This record gives sequence, C-alpha cells and structure tokens, in this order.
Amino acid sequence: MSWFFRKPELEPEYLYRLGKLLSPEALDIHSLAQQRLVVLDLETTGFDLRRDLVISIGAVVIDQGAIPFNQLFERTLYRNITKVTESVLIHGIAPSALAAGEDPIKALLSLMEFVGNSPFLAYHARFDQQMLERALRKTLGYRLTHPFFDVAEIAPMLNPDAKLDKAGLDDWVKYFGLNVHQRHHASADALVTAEIALILFKQAQSRGIENLAQLEQRLASWRRKQQANTLAF
Amino acid sequence: MGKADAFAKAGKTAVLQNIQGLMEFLQKFPPFNQMEAAHLVFLVENCQLRFYSSGETLLSPQDGVVEHFFIIKQGRVYGERLQATREQAEPAFDLTVGECFPMAALVGERATRTTHVAAEDTFCLVLDKASFVKLLSLSSPFRDFAIRGVSSLLEQVNLQVQRRAAESLGEQYSLEARLGELALHQPVSCLPALPLNEAVGLMNEHNIGSIVVVDNDQHPLGIFTLRDLRQVIASGVDNLIKPIGQASTQQAFSLSPEASAFDAAIAMTEHHITHVCVVENGQLKGVVSERDLFSLQRVDLVHLAQTIRHAERIESLVGLRRRICQLVDNMLAHGASSTQISHIITLLNDHTVSRVIELTLEEVGDPGIPFTWLCFGSEGRCEQTLYTDQDNGILFEADNPAEAQRVRTLLLPVAQRINQYLAQCGFALCKGNIMAGNPDLCLSRIEWLKRFQSFVFESTPEHLLGSSIFFDLRPVWGPISGYEQLRNELLDLIEQASLFQRLMAENALRHRPPIGRFRDFVVSRKGNDKIPTLDIKEQGLTPFVDGARLLSLANGIATTNTLERLRQLIDAGVIEAKDGSAYKEAYQFIQQTRMQHHQQQAREGKPYSNRLDPDTLNHLDRRILRESFRQAQRLQASLALRYHL
Repeated sequence: MSWFFRKPELEPEYLYRLGKLLSPEALDIHSLAQQRLVVLDLETTGFDLRRDLVISIGAVVIDQGAIPFNQLFERTLYRNITKVTESVLIHGIAPSALAAGEDPIKALLSLMEFVGNSPFLAYHARFDQQMLERALRKTLGYRLTHPFFDVAEIAPMLNPDAKLDKAGLDDWVKYFGLNVHQRHHASADALVTAEIALILFKQAQSRGIENLAQLEQRLASWRRKQQANTLAF
Repeated sequence: MGKADAFAKAGKTAVLQNIQGLMEFLQKFPPFNQMEAAHLVFLVENCQLRFYSSGETLLSPQDGVVEHFFIIKQGRVYGERLQATREQAEPAFDLTVGECFPMAALVGERATRTTHVAAEDTFCLVLDKASFVKLLSLSSPFRDFAIRGVSSLLEQVNLQVQRRAAESLGEQYSLEARLGELALHQPVSCLPALPLNEAVGLMNEHNIGSIVVVDNDQHPLGIFTLRDLRQVIASGVDNLIKPIGQASTQQAFSLSPEASAFDAAIAMTEHHITHVCVVENGQLKGVVSERDLFSLQRVDLVHLAQTIRHAERIESLVGLRRRICQLVDNMLAHGASSTQISHIITLLNDHTVSRVIELTLEEVGDPGIPFTWLCFGSEGRCEQTLYTDQDNGILFEADNPAEAQRVRTLLLPVAQRINQYLAQCGFALCKGNIMAGNPDLCLSRIEWLKRFQSFVFESTPEHLLGSSIFFDLRPVWGPISGYEQLRNELLDLIEQASLFQRLMAENALRHRPPIGRFRDFVVSRKGNDKIPTLDIKEQGLTPFVDGARLLSLANGIATTNTLERLRQLIDAGVIEAKDGSAYKEAYQFIQQTRMQHHQQQAREGKPYSNRLDPDTLNHLDRRILRESFRQAQRLQASLALRYHL
C-alpha cells in the first residue's frame, strides 16, 4: 500500500508555491464582524469519499461582515471522464467541459492561495472537508489543517424554532426567504451559503457570540445535547 | 433537449457565474438595464453584498458625508425624516428590490437627510464612493439617472410608449413627430401679384392642393387651396386672370417647426382647415396638409370631426360614435398619451354635442331664445374617457323670476330631447339627473349664481358634493358671455369664502392615495373579489383633481382642466414649479395607466372598472405608479398645511 502515500512529483514552481502556503490562523483573533472566511462548495463525480473526484470548485469570501465580489473563486478541474453518471447530470458539467478544465494541481494551489490563513465555511462541511483533504493530499501531497464550520449545524443551533435539523440547503433558503436565481453550480451554491452565513453571524452576534472560537464552543455543546437527545429516544 | 445539448449549455455558463447572476439580476431594473455590460461588470466586481436585519439602520444623517451607494437585492428599506415640528419621525419613502440610494446625497457629496432603515431582513449590494464616481464617469445612462432620478424614469416610460407606438404603426412617424421633420419639401409659394391661372398651373405642376401667397421676404400672407378655386370658378371664370392676392382671402394658419403632427391635426379639426403653414421666425418653411397627416397615420381624426359637424341626422351621429371608439382604441394602441386621448375625446364629444343641439333645433324649431349649453364634472374639465355620463345644464338670460320661468318652460322640452338624443349617441343618461332637461339645471344666470351662493355659504354634504361637480363648468355651445360673467362672479365669491375653502380642503383629503408605510400598495377586496385591488380613479386621480380645483378657485384661476389648472397655479406662484410639474407628471401617468387598464378590459371583454390589481403591472410601471401616488400624498400634505387641517 506504500504507493498510496507516495508524494506526487511536482515541478519546482509548484513546490515553491506550495511552500509559501499559510497555516490557519487562530479562531479568537478577529471578531465575527471582521473575520475573513472562505465559503466553499465542491462539485464531485459522486458521493463516495474514497473514489469520487472533485470536478469543480466554487468559493466566495465573507470579510468585514460582507461578501466582496472582487474575491470570487471558480474553477472547473481537468478530469478525463467519459462516463455520464447521475451526478454529472445534477451538477450539469459536461465531460467536454471537464476535458477543457484546469490542471488540478494549478487549480488546487490557486484555491489554497486564495484561502490563505482563513477558516472554511460550507453546507454539510464534513463532505467538502474530506473531499478537499483527499484531493490536496493526492494532488499536492498537502495536509489540510484549516478548520471547517458547517452552516448545516450553525443554522439549526441558532434557529431551533425552524425545526430543520436534517434539512438541506434549499430548506434554509426557503426559511430565510432568500431569492435565488441559479442553483446547483458550485459558485452559486457557495454564494447562497454565504448569504445564509451573513444572516447567521448577525444572529450569533446578537446572542453574545463574539468570535469563531466562541462559536465553536457553542457548537460543541449543542452537538452533545443533540446526541443526548438522540440517545434518549 | 439531448444530453449533449444540455452539457454544451452548462459548459458556457461555467465562468464567473456569480458575477453573471448578479448582472442578470440588475438588468431587470433601471438604470442598470440601460448600462453597457462592461460597466455593469465593473459595478458588480467592485461591490459587496451586505445583510441588514429588520429594523437595522443602514445610513443616517449622523454618519457624515455618504461613502457608499446601495442597491437593494432583497428586502425593503424606508427613509425616516425627523420633522422639526413633530415629535414623531415621518416615513419619507419606501424602497424595494432593484432600487438604489442615496443618489442625491452621493452626487451632492453630503450627508443624507434621511435615516435609512431596513423594513425587513434586507440584502444590499454596496458600492464604495470611489467606484461610484468612476461609474458615473463611465456610464452615461447611470449618470442621467443619478442626476435626474425618477423624472428620468418617466422619460423612459414615454420612450417605451413611443417605441411601442412606432412598432405597431410600422412607420417611423407618429403623431409626436415634429412638423419641422415632416414638412421637409420646399413649399410652393408665389407673390400676391401672380395671376390666379398661373398659380393654379404651379399647383398642377407640383401636384399639390394648396399654394402659399408670400411677400418678398417669404412671410406668408395667405393660402389658396383647391376649395378656394371651386369658389372662384363658381363666381365667374373671368376671375382667373386676377392676381391671386385678391382671391386668397383665407388667413394662413401657421405653427412653428417645433409643434407636433398632433398639434396640426387638432388645429385642422378646430379651425376647419386642410392646410397648416410651418413658419419659423416669420418665414415660411413648409406646408402640412391633411393628406400628409393621413399618409403617416391611419388615424382619421380630422375627417371624423368634419363628418360629425356635417352629419344630417341623429342616426348618422349614432353610427359615428362607434368610429370614435375605434379611433380612441387605435390611438391608445399606437401609444398616444392620456393627454392626447382626453383632448381628442373632448374635441369629438364637443362636436357631437354641438351637432346634436343644432339638429334638435332644426327638428323642433328655434325657440328664439339664446342659450348656452354647459357641461360639468369630468366633461367640464375636458377629462372624459369614452365611458362617460352626461353632466350638463343650460344657462340663459332673464331679468326677473317670472321671465326665467317663462323661458324655462320653452327650453325644457328642447333640452330633454337633446338629452335623449345624446343618450342615443352613447352619452349615458346621468343617474343623478345632472342634465339640462332637469328644471333645476335649466337656469338663468341670476338663478345659477344664487345656486352657487348656497353651495358656498350653506355647508351641507350635498352642497360640497355639488360644488365638486358644478364648479368645473364649461360652455360647449352657444354664446359664452353669460358664462364668463357667471364664472367671474363665482370666483369672486369663493375667493372671499375662507370657511368654504377649508371645507373643500377637508373634502380633498377624503380619498387617500393607496400606498402605505410598509407595503408597496394598499389594496382591498371589493365584494366577492378574490384578488385585492385599488381604485385608480378615486384614490389616484381624485386627490389631484380636488386639490387643483380648490387651489384654482381660491386663487381666481378660471380654467377647469386639472393639468391646465396646475400649470396656471405655477405661473401664479401659488405652487412651486418643481412641485407643480411633479404633480402634472404623476397625474398624467396615473391617467395613462387607467386608460390602458380600460383598454385591456375591453380587449378581454370584461366590464369596465377603475379597480386595478397592481401586480398586473410590470416592474417599472409599478414603481412609477407608486411614486405618482406619493406625489398625490405630497399634494394632500401641502393642502393640510395650507388650511391648517
């Protein structure tokens, strides 16, 4: 199995860039109103964490309490796929588009340069986190240590009355009454997730949560309670 | 769609979807829908999306010079202005999706005068000042909008209407075309000394129906038409060798090149002429004939008016009524403005009424007493639509009550017959019996004055209602001197009667424009209606009509038409020019919306109604309608202030 952990061979330019990537920052440095986060959405060939591939990356940024439109990230990755699967139809990226995509090495390096030392935010973040971890490890030999925050956790924690524990992104879009023009593209989904996050951060601040470290504490105790509730039944 | 197609399509949108998505959003709203794509990209790339929870302040006067430009992506924002005289803050405006602020403060590089508060959870696109300034310099539609604001929106609507008109006409001309553009060919003219036969030779050579007689400096002296030739020949062929100057008795009617084709059509109808000279600085520039107007419009306004004036029998007038409806329908479809339509309807209705009176008098014999046919209400204000009741009366002269009674007995049967004939011609009998055939409305000048005095000095609800109908009076047929005298006496009466003015002011505040603080429009369900609606006439137009009437009567302004009243109120300095023209624009827009609404109902075979569901309007129209109602609110607020209500 040693071939599996072998470092990929990279050109010197890429190695240099890889060396300059930043480590994640601590979570208690910035207030929620100032914190920079990268809101991520990945499109993959499927939902198998071991086999499926990242084919498109969309990211927007939350910075100083706003979404700036001069910091957008959108890449389709080069993948040699000929088989048309169900999920290809969902994300709507054609094999031809993938064939015209960017070299995954370049795309992933650019993503991590774009991310810098900021934490990630995503909907059902665990999936994006694991997919991205594997892609970075296999493609760049890079170990991802940036923390991930999950809107699918923060939203029900701050809005228990919504009774949307196992909800999808669309349910929250409806709950917050957002107007969404396009969906099911990585970057459009990332934008919607970020819009929900703007609302959630306002809610969090009004409940005395000052920074991401405190948010993480609240989430931890919320998770414990959720588990206790599940066990009680 | 095959899979391959779907993929190909998806592939195209792969680049910067979020920028594209925002551009598509902005392109639904003015002024962004008029901006070049590159400038929109600049806007979007340089802005931020921000969230404001309900009740949060986005901007306030204390923030100092405004540093950001906001576009509402979702939600609603209201403006709150602190009134020095009142303790409570007043909502100044209400902005919704696609609208932007604070233009005036940004352009004027000052602090905003209003506190902007999120009325509900709201997302705004926020652009920094430097980028805003850059965008102003890049994009001229954006610049126009920033400087002229809502009035540039109205202009856009007019452009749209005209474009639609041009499309449906399939021609590049409309009635709005300037005469200077129409009468391009060199006019055929001659000196007064030219013998008539040679002048006719010239007309024949150029295949035209008229020749303008000018002096050495091209100043028009008169016009000679084929109609005149007929007369000359009828009076003896010898006359043909006389100089044309002796034959052309017609004064040439002239308009400036800036006047519109519509003005020319109206002039032809009013003055019974077939040619209009286009004159600039006293010099002849061209001639527009009835035929020229026909060739560019299928609208046969002039012809219709003439046919009405020469109708031999009531039955022919009944038949012509249908053609009036068709004409108005056509003109509406071709994008004529509400003012033009009202003008035409008034004109044709006046012709019809006059002809009905003449034909009736021929039929029953002239009673031998001069009388004036008056009209009231919307007819009196020249603001009729096609769907209208009769509101009329008779004015005559009598020295004493016995004489008045004698004249009345003679005139009433004639008046009643006229009312019946008018009903046949499509002017519905008035349910309230406001008709000349009613003995109470067939009065001598002195009796009218007494009646008006009781309206002014004995305040009952009936009298107040009466004043809102009868004080919009206008003569349609007969001598006008008695009417003028009555009108002047009425104005003197009201100018002194401050209590009556106050009551009229209260009355003018009765119908509130249908906009609220938090909702777009205030709508209500009538009867069993499923869809809530608003009354565009009562809630939208009446505030302007009532307000303009009150201010005019109180300030000695004799005209009755609401737009004309507003114009003269500006000239007299009673209202500020800026306010006055805003009221005028708003009134015209509401009237236009109402007429289009009626036309829509006619197309769908629905009964005619003034109730409108604002959701059926497109975004731009909704926005301007809302702004127009707001002007009605402002007019009412100024009346409340003026009369201490």
